[in-house]
Formats: sequence, structure tokens, C-alpha cells
Amino acid sequence: MSVPRFSRFAFAFGIAFGLLYVIARAYGLALFTVYPSLGVVLLGMHRSRDIADPAMEFLAPEMWWYGWVASAALGASVIGLVATLLPDRWWRGFWFGWLVIAPFIAIIGSVYLTIPWFRQ
Amino acid sequence: MATILLILHGLVAVGLLGAITHQALAVWAPYRVPPRNFFNRFRAVPAAAFANAIIILYLVTALLGAVVYLYFKVDIQPYLQRDRHWTAMGFLDLKEDFLAIGLGLLPAYWVCWRRPLGNDTGRTRAALTAVLAFIVWWSFLVGHVMNDIMGFGS
Repeated sequence: MSVPRFSRFAFAFGIAFGLLYVIARAYGLALFTVYPSLGVVLLGMHRSRDIADPAMEFLAPEMWWYGWVASAALGASVIGLVATLLPDRWWRGFWFGWLVIAPFIAIIGSVYLTIPWFRQ
Repeated sequence: MATILLILHGLVAVGLLGAITHQALAVWAPYRVPPRNFFNRFRAVPAAAFANAIIILYLVTALLGAVVYLYFKVDIQPYLQRDRHWTAMGFLDLKEDFLAIGLGLLPAYWVCWRRPLGNDTGRTRAALTAVLAFIVWWSFLVGHVMNDIMGFGS
């Protein structure tokens, strides 16, 4: 079976994105940090106490979600582009189940990372 | 402005919820003979026709939600934390995680619906539709819970 190039990209991107998102979330690999109350965006992952007095941290809440999504999208795009360059024989035995297994693993990982909220 | 965006976000989400539910039921419980009641008519739709609309609605809903999230973080979340709504915060965290995972699946979902590559993609597109339907339903319900805890403008 021949898999068109865009399909290869889409499949590799879909498999990689969720897993990379969970890795980015678990290891704090946000491409950038947003401070909505200050209107500031900083490259990399920062905490409010890095730019504001710890006692005043609540005045400058930080947001990493956009940065995590950007990190995952960047990484998955690179993997998707590499996948388009792989020879056909690499794709002959491609198992479509990975497209479902990978996001399922990502969902389980997200649930695990969210457990602290429910233990407070 | 935040209120207008939130209402728009909710309206587009309703459209997305309807479209993905139609498609999921049409794929997992298809009805081929002429339908006679509401439930049968609901699942007797051409599922493939919903794919593009679902992708566009998902992206628009996510974009509006991402903008509203900025207001939420500054104006709402501090009060939720002050009032110790930890479980609600956990559900919202899951919503943003699931939503991101769904975003990554959209290209593969589009390919599976537009360019069939054999029987394998039939099963895969049904499974991907189910995953997206779960994400959309989760996000919709959690969004409502969060809005009802402390809505904008309150």
C-alpha cells in the first residue's frame, strides 16, 4: 500500500503530537510563557516568582499551556516532515492502530499529571 | 469583550457538539432503512459530510477558548483557588490537555475521512471520531461547569 506524503505527515504528526504534549507538560518544556495580566510573553518556561516578588505572585499568573502546545506542534511537525522522507518500505507495514493508541496514552498521561489537583 | 467572546465560544461549541455527535452515532450505530423516529434520523446522516465542518468548528472553538482562557486566568482563576475549587480546576486542566491532544489528531482525522487507504482507515476513522467526540463532550461539560461556578461579569 502506498501512503501519500501528506497522509504520512498527518499520521506521524497525529501520533507524535499528543505524546510530545504530555512530555512537554511533564518536564516543563513550554516554548514560551504568557503573562496575561502584564501582556508579556517570554521565551521558555518561567514561573511568576521569577519576574515578580513571590509574595505578589498572584498579580502575575503565568500560562504555559500555549507554550506546551507550541512545543508539541513544533516537535510533531519535525517528526511529520521526517516521516515524509522515509522510503515506501517503512510505510508498508504501518499499523493504523498507533493513531488511536498514541492519543490514548497521552490522555492517560494527562490524567496522571492532573491527579495533584484532586488530592488537595 | 470577554463576555461576547465567551458566548461566541459557547455557540460554536454547540455546533461542534452537534456535528461530532451526529458523525459518531452515524459511524458507530449507522441506520440504513428509512428512519422513523428522532434518534434514528439523528444517526442516519452522511457521516463524511461532517468532517470538514467538524475540523473548522474545532479550530474556531479552540481559538476562541484560547482567547477566553486569558481572561479566565486573570479574572476568574484566583477566585476559584481562593474558594478551593480544586476538583473543578483539575477538570479544567484535563479539558485543556484533551483539547490539545485533539488538535494534534485533526490532520490524521481529515486524511482518514477524505482519503480512504483501505479497510484499516475505516476502523481508524471510527476510532478517531470516537476520541474526538469524547474530547468535545468532556470540554463542553467542563466548560459549562466552570462557567456556572463563577461566570464572567458576576
